[in-house]
Amino acid sequence: MSKKSGLSRRAIVAAGATVLAAPYLLRRAEAKADTLRLLTWEGYADAAWVKPFEEKTGAKCNIVYVGSADEMFAKMQGSKGADFDVLTFDTSIFKRYIDANLLQPIATGKIANAANLAAAFKAVAPIMRGDKHYGMPFAWGSLPLVYDKAAFPAPPDSWQLLWDPKYAQQVISQDDANNCVTLAAIALGIKDPFNLTDPQFQQIKTKLIEMKKNLLTYYAGFDDGVSIFAQSKIKLMYSMGEPQVPKLKEKGIDAAFTIPKEGAIGWLDCWTLSAGAKDLDLAHAWINACLDKSVGAYLSDKEKYGNTTNDEANTRNGVTYGDKLIWLQTPESLEKRTAIWNEVKAAP
Amino acid sequence: MVSLPERIILFMLVAAGPFLLIVVPIGAFLAMSFFRMENQQIVHDLSLANYAAFFSSWTYVKTLLLTLWLCAEVTLIGLLIGYPIAYFIWRRSGRIRTILLLLFVLPLFMSYIVKIFTMRSILGLNGFLNQILVAVGILSEPSQVFLYNQNAILFTMAVIFLPFVILPIYLSLERIPRSLVQASADLGADIGTTFWHVILPLSAPGTIAGALFAFVLALGDFITPQMVGGANGFTFGRVIWSQFGLAYNWPFGAALGTVLLAVALLAIVLGGLAAQRQKV
Repeated sequence: MSKKSGLSRRAIVAAGATVLAAPYLLRRAEAKADTLRLLTWEGYADAAWVKPFEEKTGAKCNIVYVGSADEMFAKMQGSKGADFDVLTFDTSIFKRYIDANLLQPIATGKIANAANLAAAFKAVAPIMRGDKHYGMPFAWGSLPLVYDKAAFPAPPDSWQLLWDPKYAQQVISQDDANNCVTLAAIALGIKDPFNLTDPQFQQIKTKLIEMKKNLLTYYAGFDDGVSIFAQSKIKLMYSMGEPQVPKLKEKGIDAAFTIPKEGAIGWLDCWTLSAGAKDLDLAHAWINACLDKSVGAYLSDKEKYGNTTNDEANTRNGVTYGDKLIWLQTPESLEKRTAIWNEVKAAP
Repeated sequence: MVSLPERIILFMLVAAGPFLLIVVPIGAFLAMSFFRMENQQIVHDLSLANYAAFFSSWTYVKTLLLTLWLCAEVTLIGLLIGYPIAYFIWRRSGRIRTILLLLFVLPLFMSYIVKIFTMRSILGLNGFLNQILVAVGILSEPSQVFLYNQNAILFTMAVIFLPFVILPIYLSLERIPRSLVQASADLGADIGTTFWHVILPLSAPGTIAGALFAFVLALGDFITPQMVGGANGFTFGRVIWSQFGLAYNWPFGAALGTVLLAVALLAIVLGGLAAQRQKV
């Protein structure tokens, strides 16, 4: 998610990105003013709404997909935003982009479809500076609690179960410093899990060491979690995302996910406006088009992501818990979180 | 006759590969370990701060010491399994020997990750080992004790690195002239005495080389502990790894890497000295 980047690595990555992007740059040379340049993830610029947009505006969409947040940032940093008009990333990375002057505020007056946004997405703190909107929420998901329905006929209601000795060695957790520290903060009821004080860090460290004693193991990635869950009679898992549930079902496990009463981490991808956007009206028109209810429906029906504009589509896909999620923010110090996480891992 | 300038050019051409692929990356790594981070940027001021940070952190020093201990155990287990196998192969003759050797070296052609997953499917709850133990009645139900703990790390590493132990031992055994073994027998030594006083000392250089391979490979392995070690599968390699992802503290990670490199070099030098003494 919010991977930090420094100058020299940026330079290296940017150099690499330039080489990789050479075909794209050549294409850009012949691009005319009525071209919209998008930098985004697979699934966020589907022909289902790109085509109608092109027909309506007469513009052409040049879409560049990237595989990681770091790669996206390097591409933007490399051109100071001049290569792209609109891009998508999640709430935890806004600070980094805004601080690097790679974004410009969105003229909300030009986004008529912003009226479609559900209440939970109208004023999301991390994407705003004062009353300026730097992003328009588009797609979301969570890091939920996944459980085996055979062990829990009713959904478990609290993260505390991960600490319950009754489930010792039947619990697994993801292995990400930032997500684990944030979850412990949520389980401890800490109000602002992204700006922790030193005493809170100590509390969290103790809490995570206790959790470790209950775990069979940490899992190394999305698929690893699924396979350990299926092979080792796991009852509860701190999940990396809802799509782990259908994967478990494929393996014959009757699993489900839930958002416990304390809440859960949510990721929220937003459309943003590059500082180097050329045709501002066209860029705003694109963001507006993405907030159309039909796009929201398509996103939920096809990709199973939560959408921000179409409640009906969310309901029929079971993604109705947006208001219970705690949207990721840039944390106070990833260095500190990594150090705490290492201390937890090294604890006997 | 090749002239001097030509020889210099030739040397530079030959040296360019190792220089670019080995010396420059390690040099860059060393240089990185003296930089520092400020506001998520690498600042190019030279200092020993990263090394001071390592030595003043008991968590990290302790993790290094425990990792060294783990690697020593892996080495010992590797030798205890590997030496008898190498000896056994050496005692066969002709084709059987070649086939056996090939069989034991075959895992080297497999991906490392595949081997770890294979070990998981052997040791796991639904694994091969549990199935056998339940089938023969030793266990009444599958047990979780074979996987996700320290013993699983030891065993997995020892098995994965086994070919690296067997090969050098076998090679040094093969260099022992059969006549020496016969002479020992002629002089009245039984098999045990011959092994203890002739074969073992003469195969020592290969044994030390095999031990070094196992030790150094285990030292740098940060995947096996993660995959089979359970919640406590934490080694120094994991600490280094953690500095390069989310934390983005490359200078500190480089300093930790340099410490690990120094430990590995020390092990190699000590092993080399021990092997040298055996040769006399």
